[in-house]
Amino acid sequence: MSDPNEALVNAKAVAERITKTRRLNACLTPPKELRASLVQQAAMAHPSGVLYGMPVGVKDNICTLEFTTTCGSRILEGYRSPYEATAVARLKTAGALIAGKSNCDEFAMGSSTEHSAYGRAVHPLDKARVPGGSSGGSAALVAAGVVPAALGSETGGSVRQPASFCGIVGIKPTYGRVSRYGLVAFGSSLDQIGVFGRSVHDAARVLSVISGRDARDTTCEDRDPLRLPTVPESLQGFVIGVPREYFPTDLDPGVRRACDQAIRMMRDLGAAIREVSLPHTAYAVPTYYIIAPAEASSNLARYDGARYGPRFNGSTDVRALYRETRGQGFGAEVRRRILVGTYVLSSGYYDAYYRKAQQMRSLIAQDFRNVFDRGVDLLFTPTTPTPAFKAGEKITDPVAMYLSDIFTVTANLAGLPALSLPIGRIKGLPVGGQLIGQAFLEDEMLEAAYALERVVPAAGEV
Amino acid sequence: MSVSREEVLKIAQLAELHVEEDRLPELAEQMSRILDYVAQLAGQTSETAKPFIPGPDALRFRVDEVKPSPLAFGPDTFAPEFRDGLFLVPKLGQFGDDTGESE
Amino acid sequence: MANGWETVIGLETHVQLRTVSKMFCGCSAAFGAPPNTNVCPVCLGLPGALPVANEMAVKLAVRAALALGCTVHAHSVFARKNYFYPDLPKGYQISQFEQPLSTDGSVTYLSPDRGLLTATIARLHLEEDAGKSLHDRFPRRTAVDLNRCGVPLIEIVTGPDFRSPQEARAYLLTLKQVLEYSGISDVDMEKGSLRVDANVSVRRAGETALGTKTEVKNINSFAYVEKALTVERDRQVALRESGGSVVQQTMLYDSKTNSVRAQRLKEESHDYRYFPDPDLPPLVLSPEFIAEQQTALPELPARKRERFVAEYGLSLADAAVLTAERPVADYFEGVVRAGGADAKSAANWVMGEVLGDAKDNGEQLRVTPVGLAQLIGLVKGGTLSHQAAKRVFTDLAAHGGDPRAIAESLGLIQVADTGVLAGWVSDVLGAHANEVSRYQKGETKLLQFFVGQVMKASRGKADPKLTQRLLEEKLTP
Repeated sequence: MSDPNEALVNAKAVAERITKTRRLNACLTPPKELRASLVQQAAMAHPSGVLYGMPVGVKDNICTLEFTTTCGSRILEGYRSPYEATAVARLKTAGALIAGKSNCDEFAMGSSTEHSAYGRAVHPLDKARVPGGSSGGSAALVAAGVVPAALGSETGGSVRQPASFCGIVGIKPTYGRVSRYGLVAFGSSLDQIGVFGRSVHDAARVLSVISGRDARDTTCEDRDPLRLPTVPESLQGFVIGVPREYFPTDLDPGVRRACDQAIRMMRDLGAAIREVSLPHTAYAVPTYYIIAPAEASSNLARYDGARYGPRFNGSTDVRALYRETRGQGFGAEVRRRILVGTYVLSSGYYDAYYRKAQQMRSLIAQDFRNVFDRGVDLLFTPTTPTPAFKAGEKITDPVAMYLSDIFTVTANLAGLPALSLPIGRIKGLPVGGQLIGQAFLEDEMLEAAYALERVVPAAGEV
Repeated sequence: MSVSREEVLKIAQLAELHVEEDRLPELAEQMSRILDYVAQLAGQTSETAKPFIPGPDALRFRVDEVKPSPLAFGPDTFAPEFRDGLFLVPKLGQFGDDTGESE
Repeated sequence: MANGWETVIGLETHVQLRTVSKMFCGCSAAFGAPPNTNVCPVCLGLPGALPVANEMAVKLAVRAALALGCTVHAHSVFARKNYFYPDLPKGYQISQFEQPLSTDGSVTYLSPDRGLLTATIARLHLEEDAGKSLHDRFPRRTAVDLNRCGVPLIEIVTGPDFRSPQEARAYLLTLKQVLEYSGISDVDMEKGSLRVDANVSVRRAGETALGTKTEVKNINSFAYVEKALTVERDRQVALRESGGSVVQQTMLYDSKTNSVRAQRLKEESHDYRYFPDPDLPPLVLSPEFIAEQQTALPELPARKRERFVAEYGLSLADAAVLTAERPVADYFEGVVRAGGADAKSAANWVMGEVLGDAKDNGEQLRVTPVGLAQLIGLVKGGTLSHQAAKRVFTDLAAHGGDPRAIAESLGLIQVADTGVLAGWVSDVLGAHANEVSRYQKGETKLLQFFVGQVMKASRGKADPKLTQRLLEEKLTP
């Protein structure tokens, strides 16, 4: 039975740490409000919960009763949700403390957290660089040691990519493993709540608590919560596939060195390494950038200033209200994606774009099935093509920004679980290696991650 | 695939998004660039490929009973304008005072 | 067709399903609650909320589809219909588009112009209702009540089958009857559980291509169906005859002025950008599920009509009256099964007294089937005259009770005792010797006069049939 004061001690400590790391702009909750809430939460936390007293950051696109939920946008500035996400409720039932709302790219659209209406989040190791996105705030908090774990969300890699940039663990579950009730929808067929942790174990523990069937989400599979595997002695019996499409000839040499080292280590642990091919990989990013904006254009139609959130002028008639609110309340990237999404769904273009993309998606998913059906257990790839880039570097060209998702979007498209763990440093900047698993076989993925984590020099220069 | 100013305007109207006149050319250009990029899918799939959506294969139902999802507080708290139990918006003027009920 | 123009009408009907909760959330679907009290994150369209489908709504929709002879598709898909409107909180309506629940049904109805016809049901699909916008409650404001938002609906679309407003109305009445029988909805136009929009076009008689159609909305009762369609048809004909052409647009019917006006132009076209709703997996129905709904369907009007003719020997016209509404049909059969009343008498009483009484008393069938059966039995057995029985009926309807007891208390029991009757007969014949003589000379119609006199002498209590027989016997030399 835990010390009942532990929660209160943690509450005060994390409030301190968040205040001290304000320059990261990772947490959007004002320190005073955060501290008061944490203390109150600590008093009510269940001492027998498996996460008792653990402060967990929550990305600001996940609804909480504590604090506001802005999704990094002006259109929800000051919005207080009258209900909480299932994942958040489960954290609280397990005794965890909700340690504020983390900064993110607006409505989770972005790969750097530069598209937040509340200022960009800062990389803990280099303030000129981005922590990644869209869940950059949560990643920065964990990397800076403010909280041991944090919730993020994935649509195209928004947990794994920041995890790679920040040198921490990021897990995306199988689509349907974790309830989306209360996760503000961006690309509904791609979205999943994911978890950041200092270690595989921290992240996995939290994932286990939030996972499992939920009557409020029809896309959540009717399964028990994730059971955590034990740390394996070796990787004997594992077949790790290395897809050639993820190791192009122009891959950053530092990233290649880090991956080669990790692969060697897995082989030394007893895994069989096999080169495989996922032939439709090149089409993943364009496929994603049709499907995600299309779904987003529909999911974001509800933000119009009518029933909640602020209003932006437009008092003449209701259409003016909608147009002004949405025109001013949404940032440039969100507006762009809504327009692209509306376009690809519009009559005359639906078949050429959206239907095509859904068909390509099935080919991408089939690529994975083909490889897994031939005896491969897991895939290993780089998480990102480069370490964290500098703020402002990619923001002017949307397509350049999209290309940083090149290794991560496939898992979202195929609905597969994937995990990033730190595998080295390039000139001091972290770089991540990615494991992609089979649907609902997170336990195998975690076993491999545990084993690799134990041996790989995560902070070592490659 | 070039997207014209007029098309951007039309799409913006469909999406109820106000776009400043002077932003139109830049937006048209960016959209063209994005659409060109994603258009590389053309000719890459067969017509018979079935779309793939992850998640359960079939809808699970909910029993028909009155069991509302909880709201910690009501619309009167979060609505920007609320009177007599009703959400208020500026009047639907120019675009059809249509099938609204009159009392 | 008037002036050489042919009218072509198709109807789209929206029917609210009789569930207790909404289509995609557990809020109450009941009518009449204070505004915005039957709401939750899902039907309010709050950020992060997700739809969960109501099983009973699906069952009722399948039942309706089967009742209308549709092919129910084991695999159908919910799709988002995207548009902006104050009472549509998500900015889209969850409906069905490319893969609807059912297609290819039919409704046989009696057209006032062309006899028995079959209207085609192109599709019947499931969707959620929107909320209500009130434009006149507050100045310069539209007020929105989301109680209705999310209530389950089925949309029933016909082909362009109707050739007159009267025909359209006749179809609609038949549709309503079938759906009412199925028990899937209250189908009450006044309460909004049945709504209809129409597509109207005209073409010169003999043309095969369809003219440009307009959509007519805001038709709030059956009476207005005919009026609204007539007004729009006339408008189109006049327009075409003066050389103009019909513009495809939405026309709103105004019942106060009996006119239609164009809904003021929306700049954007109706591009709903339908796509499968990623929040809802496909709707997959097992053969058992569908079969269960078929079993749950009661006998439908057409079959019941046929059976009433065959089983009870009723005329088609009488059968039609008795089966117009299911409660009445059930009532009629209740009377027959209670015993003591033959089908024909029961039919007459139900069509006459029962329905007459119901009309004046809020459509209630106030006398129990057993009670009516007993009453009819009393008439058949000679205990009550038909006239007397009607009086007893009135009393029964108002106060309930036992028919015989009421008859006794009102002193209406007929006398069938031949001894007593013979006495009255003797008295009457004795008092009217002249008429007796005339009768015996051939004026046989005087029999009724004698019957009347006996009725008078007995103060209405004499059994007329028996009296007549006795008189005949006595008068025959």
